Amino acid sequence: MKKLLALVLAMSMLLGAVALADGNALVSWYTFGDVYLTSVRTALDEAFAAKGITVTDKDSNAIQTTQTDDINTAVLIGTNALVINLVESGSISVAQSLLDVAKGANLPAVFFNRAVSQDDAEAKAMFEGYEKSAFIGTNFEEAGKMQGDMIGAYVLENYDAIDLNGDGVISYVMFKGDDANQEAIARTKYGVENADAVLTAAGKPALKFYDDNNANKYLVDLNGTWSNTASYEYMGTILSQYNESNGNMIELVIANNDDMAIGAINYLKTVGYNDGKGKTIPVFGVDAVDAAKAAIDAGEMAGTIKQDAVGMADAVATITANLIEGKDKFEGLNENYRVVDGWFVQIPYAMYTGE
Amino acid sequence: MTTAKKPSVSTTRVLEWVLDHAMILIIILLGIYTAIRTNGGFVKLPNIINLLKLTAARLPMALGVAGCIVLAGTDLSGGRMVGLAGFIAAIIIGAISGEAAPIIAILAVMAAGIAIGFINGFCMGKFKLHPFIVTLATQLMIYGLYLTVSNSKQIAVSSFANQPMFYISGQPVPWYVLLAIIITVVMWFVWNKTTFGKNMFAVGSNEEAARVSGVNVLFTIIFVFMLAGALYGYTGFIEACRIGNSSATLGLSYENDAISAVVIGGVSFVGGTGKISGVILGVFMMQLIMTAMTFLGISGGVAYIIKGAVILVACILDMRKYMTKK
Repeated sequence: MKKLLALVLAMSMLLGAVALADGNALVSWYTFGDVYLTSVRTALDEAFAAKGITVTDKDSNAIQTTQTDDINTAVLIGTNALVINLVESGSISVAQSLLDVAKGANLPAVFFNRAVSQDDAEAKAMFEGYEKSAFIGTNFEEAGKMQGDMIGAYVLENYDAIDLNGDGVISYVMFKGDDANQEAIARTKYGVENADAVLTAAGKPALKFYDDNNANKYLVDLNGTWSNTASYEYMGTILSQYNESNGNMIELVIANNDDMAIGAINYLKTVGYNDGKGKTIPVFGVDAVDAAKAAIDAGEMAGTIKQDAVGMADAVATITANLIEGKDKFEGLNENYRVVDGWFVQIPYAMYTGE
Repeated sequence: MTTAKKPSVSTTRVLEWVLDHAMILIIILLGIYTAIRTNGGFVKLPNIINLLKLTAARLPMALGVAGCIVLAGTDLSGGRMVGLAGFIAAIIIGAISGEAAPIIAILAVMAAGIAIGFINGFCMGKFKLHPFIVTLATQLMIYGLYLTVSNSKQIAVSSFANQPMFYISGQPVPWYVLLAIIITVVMWFVWNKTTFGKNMFAVGSNEEAARVSGVNVLFTIIFVFMLAGALYGYTGFIEACRIGNSSATLGLSYENDAISAVVIGGVSFVGGTGKISGVILGVFMMQLIMTAMTFLGISGGVAYIIKGAVILVACILDMRKYMTKK
């Protein structure tokens, strides 16, 4: 009798477990340490909860093997969907191997935020190889382009105020987050190129990197972490040489992300700039994190590009739920998101210059 | 024959002298080179003060980890401890208003650092674990703790520590420079004038011999790590104030920079050797090189190569001294 009871209990537990696992998704993150991704994570947990899907968030801590192992383990445990924030962004072979894991287990594979390849045709071919897959991201070049457009317009409008030494040329510094990241590379390139296009079209000279010796025309966080510590310390070093008393003050700061923008602002504050009242050097970032919005509202920062964390999370949750339930991939998707070629959902960026 | 040998002896001596003082010579030559290339900007007051500030910010952490290296150990937990301490400081400064807030914050983060240092030292001393493993494990736990309690939120921080203490011809010198000097003096005293300091070197050069001669090895190890923890905690507070906010990247790989600086300064991984003046020199040299690269417009791949080469060359030079002594 006892044995029978135990068996019944065990069976019911097993059934219970299976029933629970019905809507269960593994979300494998590039890193928990990133401010923007954390805002996506918070939003995604809520979006999945609203759809009745249980989420397991795993931190890869920027290590690809950790991510790959987590995904294989999740398949063994019996997850219903793999939601992947690829660590090795731009590496199609890694993405393909993870997609194959999903395909082998017949599970939905939803990639988001970090691009699988620099080449859209290559990425398209990969996603078309498996029906239950999709990519939700941004056009990774768009942030830099939009930032450049925003800078161009801002500089044009305030040219004489920005040109502190009155030499007719705006000198700038560019802070790059990581030498190996595709988004950082694109932002570093277009943040200046697009601004220059706006300026030269209006008959103004192009922006000039403050230091002629630096052929790269950027300063990079050597740890590759897009950190405010790096931009803060660089600012201290360059302002000791380039300042108003030497007549060669940095007149514009462009950063790949808000964290680095804020690091620069915090140093500027220590030398009497960007306190929201007096002299302000225009500083631009990307991401529109809370701290940057607060800085913009306080007049300490000029602008940022908003990555729509809630929109990203909403699209990921909708598509994952559709795939789990066997519905059409894009059913019920917000119309503001562009669906490209049946595999790529683009969440648009937006300029943010204060509310 | 003797006349033929004479010049070669003096050449050897010159070479020896050059190698023995290589680090100082490199610093001077690099300083001169960068100064020439930048029309003197590198050695003008604003950058001198900039270097002073950068050195003051990084020095306390290096002084902490130096003790662990004197024990022939290491400590990888420092960087994440800085991140956690920065967060704790940000919370305290945000929650309490008034003059006392930064003081309470400093005490709290140092207490947190001491607690973690105790765990590090206890595991190392009691269970004979290598500090590399112990601190590898604890740094993960510290980062996990940080992520759990903070949810990677950024918090703005401001306090007196980053405010100007006085001005030198218009250049602000912040309070944390003074704090760094005080800490350095205290650490010099601890290393050179206390029984604990002498015991630390004894344990570092030969643990068994120290034990036989009556040194409380376990206590010494624990105390070294607690002291280091306190200094990491302090660094977290300073960094959060200096940078202006606490975030998940705060402190990341600081331990590597600190260890590199300490080793450049001649504190040997062999154990039992090292001087406070060497640590100061190492930190200063590291900051000098990083700053010089920014001045010279060196960025990207080349910067990593230079940084790595400096660490390697410094260690070779240091090891050479050790081998000749033997």
